Amino acid sequence: MFNRTLRRRTVMAGVMLAALAGVSPSVLAQDLSGELVILQWQTGTDGQMWKDVEAKFVELHPGVTIREFQPAGGQGDARGGMRTALLGGEVVDIIINTWPAFRAELVNSGILRPIDDQWASFGWDDKLSQSWRDLGSIDGTTYGITYTYGDRSAIWYKTAQLEKAGITPPATWEEFLASFDKLKAAGYPAPVVIPAKYWAHTEWFETLLLRTAGVEAAAQLAAHQIPWTDPKVKTALMKYAEMLQAGCCAEPATMLAIEQPYPTLYTSEDSSYLLFGMWTNSALKNDLGLTEGVDYSIFQFPTLGMGFDDTSSVDAKELNVTTNGANPAAADAFLDFIVGPEASNIMANYGYASPSTAMDASLLGPVQTIATGAVSSSKVQFVLGDLLPGDLVDEYRVQLQKFLQNPTEATVDEVLAAIEAKAATAY
Amino acid sequence: MTRSVAEAVTDRSGVPSRAGGGQLRLPITRGWRIKEAPAAWLLIAPVIILFGISVVYPLIDTIRLSFFDIKGLAPAKWVGIGNYVTLFNDPTFRGTLVTTLIFTLGTTAISVSLGWALAMLCAFAPVHTTPFRGMMFVTFGISEAVSGYMWLNILRPDKAGLLNAIIGIFIPGYAHSWLGDPNTALWALIFVASWSGVGLPLMLCFAAVQSIPKTVLEAAYMDGAKPTSIMRHIMMPLSLPGVRVAIFINLLGALRAFDIIYVMTGGGPVRATETVGYFMYRESMTQFKLGYGAAATVVLLVAVLVISIPAIIQRTAGAK
Repeated sequence: MFNRTLRRRTVMAGVMLAALAGVSPSVLAQDLSGELVILQWQTGTDGQMWKDVEAKFVELHPGVTIREFQPAGGQGDARGGMRTALLGGEVVDIIINTWPAFRAELVNSGILRPIDDQWASFGWDDKLSQSWRDLGSIDGTTYGITYTYGDRSAIWYKTAQLEKAGITPPATWEEFLASFDKLKAAGYPAPVVIPAKYWAHTEWFETLLLRTAGVEAAAQLAAHQIPWTDPKVKTALMKYAEMLQAGCCAEPATMLAIEQPYPTLYTSEDSSYLLFGMWTNSALKNDLGLTEGVDYSIFQFPTLGMGFDDTSSVDAKELNVTTNGANPAAADAFLDFIVGPEASNIMANYGYASPSTAMDASLLGPVQTIATGAVSSSKVQFVLGDLLPGDLVDEYRVQLQKFLQNPTEATVDEVLAAIEAKAATAY
Repeated sequence: MTRSVAEAVTDRSGVPSRAGGGQLRLPITRGWRIKEAPAAWLLIAPVIILFGISVVYPLIDTIRLSFFDIKGLAPAKWVGIGNYVTLFNDPTFRGTLVTTLIFTLGTTAISVSLGWALAMLCAFAPVHTTPFRGMMFVTFGISEAVSGYMWLNILRPDKAGLLNAIIGIFIPGYAHSWLGDPNTALWALIFVASWSGVGLPLMLCFAAVQSIPKTVLEAAYMDGAKPTSIMRHIMMPLSLPGVRVAIFINLLGALRAFDIIYVMTGGGPVRATETVGYFMYRESMTQFKLGYGAAATVVLLVAVLVISIPAIIQRTAGAK
């Protein structure tokens, strides 16, 4: 009797254990509790969207509370504040990250926990393609899960201005250059606005590099496997010079002083085109109340006919989990949640695209639909500035400011030599 | 026999009273005696502790960090004076030294000379110029970040900028990007910093003029001196101590300038306005090269000491 009871209990326990083992971690996550700390540096509309995402997670997991740790910012680059927080002993479970070079720094410092096991157990292969997994990996180990991405080769324009000038979104580089005179005649004296005070002037160079030399060359340049003085790099910068010499923009001094946030800049009546990240979409929709596809739209970077027109620059944001976080179970569940339908759809409503197949694509507006279509049909390369070592990226931005002041071949040679000199010591 | 508080602390000759053996009698608690030196240390201890925590420790740690190569979150590596060698071979840093020198001398010269001149003029009608002096001093009290944002709008590159709009009255359509042009950005910053700093020299020089004995001025008037002569031969020379203090304070402030540069230009365009203070911030906080940034900090500290120590010695030379 005793033995039979024991055997029955043993069998029951075994069955229960087997059942538990078979249950997906998503289900186990329902019983999560405790505080989840997120190193969160986004502000404005992005910050509000993030709060909505967190609120949804808490709604699904009432036992969990979320505390955001917001590091001090610094002119568009939050890494300084994030490093200060981490070195200062701040313990967080999740880090929001958009810089692959910073991920490597975190990994080298032993701060990040690999997520390959979670990838398998949560079944993220069903939601994210291998290319997104590769994007968050270092030497075959996955550390980041991408939850949003943006097309950085999309040129924003104001529909009414192009209509007034009697032009349609230019498809080729020649059409693009030719549109400047028409826009000027229509009363828009600086058809392209380039905010060059900090970093946005590098966007044009980065897409031109892709379109003139391809993603492989751009990747090699990022890793300094080819020098900055390589003819391919010079060709890209000379194309940039061509645009400036065609009268695209305001005086260099004006470009170098522009720092206004993109919504303010976008409301300027002087300019029509802007090459900027996809977060512009969220800002225009939510901050300025403009209608996507009606008041503004985008077209993909014009073709150059140099054999690399199927390339685009992209950015992405990912989540990393830490080795010392106090609530790893909740952190892992949050990673699963961020690529799930609830979080993806919140982001889509704000105007952001998620790489997850769980996102309801019908929620994307016309602008995001163009962007996601362009990215999916392109060979993509991550934003060059986010791949370069910190020391080099600063010199790169300053030297391109010099280039803007006097875009001649001699300046191009001088500027590239200066960046190369810095690169020689930066890796 | 117990004396009053005033008697206990100071005898008729003004010397603290001692109850023999170098002991100071504290009158508040009858019969309590405490040695003078420990009492002094006890009283000064809170200040020393706070000074140690907030100044000495960070200073020593900054000097220590300057001997390490610290990049991002990577472990620190001892490099000895390597950071200093790199620093003085770094053309960017050498450029910031020149920029700092121009900025420091420019703002000090403009704000002190303007403040001094205004003080001279105000001294002729001290009562009637009180509101004016008050307003000028307010600029000194405004945070540099706030005044930076205010001046950003005044110096806007388009026609909506106040300065461009005023010039546009005389030159229609005029628009210059004061902060975007590397040739004008530093001078625009110097002007703004001088505007912000003119209140203090004005008050110091005005106070120095006010301390001139009235008998000296009355004697000059009775001798038939004109106001311009009084200003030139009496007020200006006798207000020099105030001017020296103003120069000293302005030099130190300008050397350490950061807020206004951060807000208005971010060190640009093309590093045209990057001073040592901003370089230090950029290297330490943006590039997160803490050791290198610390070395720049130490260099700046030495520059401040080079100015401060002679000035302090000179100011305290007569003190006993």
